[in-house]
Amino acid sequence: MKTIGVIGCGTMGSGIAQVAALAGYDVLVFDASTDALGRGMERIAADLQRAVEKKRLDAAEAAVVRRRLHAHRSLNDLATSSFIIEAAAEDLAVKSAIFRTLDRICSPRTILATNTSSLSVTTLGSQTKDPGRLVGMHFFNPPAVMKLVEVVRGAGTTGETIAQTAELARKMGKVPVVCRDTPGFIVNRVARPFYGEALRILGEGIAPVELIDRIVRLEGRFKMGPFELMDLIGIDVNFAVTKSVYERFLHEPRFRPHPIQKAMVESGRLGRKSGKGFYTYE
Amino acid sequence: MKKRRVCIVGDIPLVVEFAALFLEKGFAVDARTNTSGAVELPHGIRRIVRPSQTTNIAVELTNIDLLRKRRNLAALESAIRPGIPLLSSSVTMTVAEQAEFVRHPRRLLGIGALPSLLQTDLIELAASAATSIETTETARQLFLELGKETALVVDSAGMVFPRILCALANEACHALGDGVAAQDEIDTAMKLGTNYPAGPLEWADRIGYGEVFAVMSSMQKHFDEDRYRPAPLLAQRALAARSKSTRPGAPQARRVE
Repeated sequence: MKTIGVIGCGTMGSGIAQVAALAGYDVLVFDASTDALGRGMERIAADLQRAVEKKRLDAAEAAVVRRRLHAHRSLNDLATSSFIIEAAAEDLAVKSAIFRTLDRICSPRTILATNTSSLSVTTLGSQTKDPGRLVGMHFFNPPAVMKLVEVVRGAGTTGETIAQTAELARKMGKVPVVCRDTPGFIVNRVARPFYGEALRILGEGIAPVELIDRIVRLEGRFKMGPFELMDLIGIDVNFAVTKSVYERFLHEPRFRPHPIQKAMVESGRLGRKSGKGFYTYE
Repeated sequence: MKKRRVCIVGDIPLVVEFAALFLEKGFAVDARTNTSGAVELPHGIRRIVRPSQTTNIAVELTNIDLLRKRRNLAALESAIRPGIPLLSSSVTMTVAEQAEFVRHPRRLLGIGALPSLLQTDLIELAASAATSIETTETARQLFLELGKETALVVDSAGMVFPRILCALANEACHALGDGVAAQDEIDTAMKLGTNYPAGPLEWADRIGYGEVFAVMSSMQKHFDEDRYRPAPLLAQRALAARSKSTRPGAPQARRVE
């Protein structure tokens, strides 16, 4: 395996492309938007430059890494990749169209991976003639930093595809964990109560925001309390993930979002990025 | 100055953890555990049958067998002098409920006690409507001496951190039971994907599956919501833990770190 295709050059796509290039792969990057492609490639270059300045990366090596990255404006250009990671918009119609095209243009041996966090890998696999080669490869944000990759087994994904995907993740310096295609996979599902119970504790007046965060940090030794973390992630993003898991579990009560989240999103209090969330930021 | 005497009764390993902390801070420690038998208590702890009248602080640490908890509270209260604070673990039963079992609820204060949490820097306190301000203040000072910050929260099933932690562990049990991933994969994913200090299942193991089950059951009863239903796998593991602890010859005490 030498050439990796990356589809989508947003935060996740560019991060994944960078990690793959650093691991020694030739990376073909596609984005339907020329602007997004340009910005993504610039983001990678800037990040590599920072690594050189901080002496985490040799300048000559950074130049080699940059040369391994190739921007493409046609999906057909990625047909020669032996492994393709799709990180396009989190939209079933968009992703389905991409996989139908890839299914047609790629060699039957090419593995097709999706970085989806909220869609069913099995559903995406059903868009292709051979769901055996379609797999979830869920990176965490930012991909250059976060060590985890969830390797998601769709109903049709073969063991060989899982093994090769896990192997690629390891070669990219990541720790793969294999999981079944279920809503939220592992992390986005198991983490729900961290926010959900904290919101209920707040809503029931058991403790205020600052106190809950302090308790979780000091008693639980978490680096951040649930409200600090929601402010960092973005309350809108967190609410969207919660809603998605809740919908996909067909309204299982454990995943029900909290009205506090909804009210905050609707009033534009989105956390750090909007200057105001559970806390106020300068 | 005469050593102050603390009397600690309840579940293993909580009794051992609290006894070790009080002993380290220079208290005379009397202890009684709910399960009889050859439980090793740290050296220097006096094993008692009946609480001493010279007790300065009484601590009740039963989370699982709530009938037993009720009897322990009554026995402690009848032995200690008036005005002596009675601190009681309140993660599976609210302080208000426990207040029904004692004659002087003024001196009853809830604490957030689960195995292994005493290793950290903060302990939660909860008062019932009847708890006196003096009791709460005395407890605050006491824990400060023991090197713990305190956080006073409103009396509610599971308090704050035990509620969040047990709900996380319960969801991890649901995921494991649903065959989403293997146990180690779930723990690894949560540590690396969200920077949790420990995986939820390894944490449940540290706390005790029986305790996690008891906290979930208590929340399910109090909030009357299906979201707190213990995962089938959690129920199984809680049962396995109980049969292990009551089977003769099985190791009973968890190692205290």
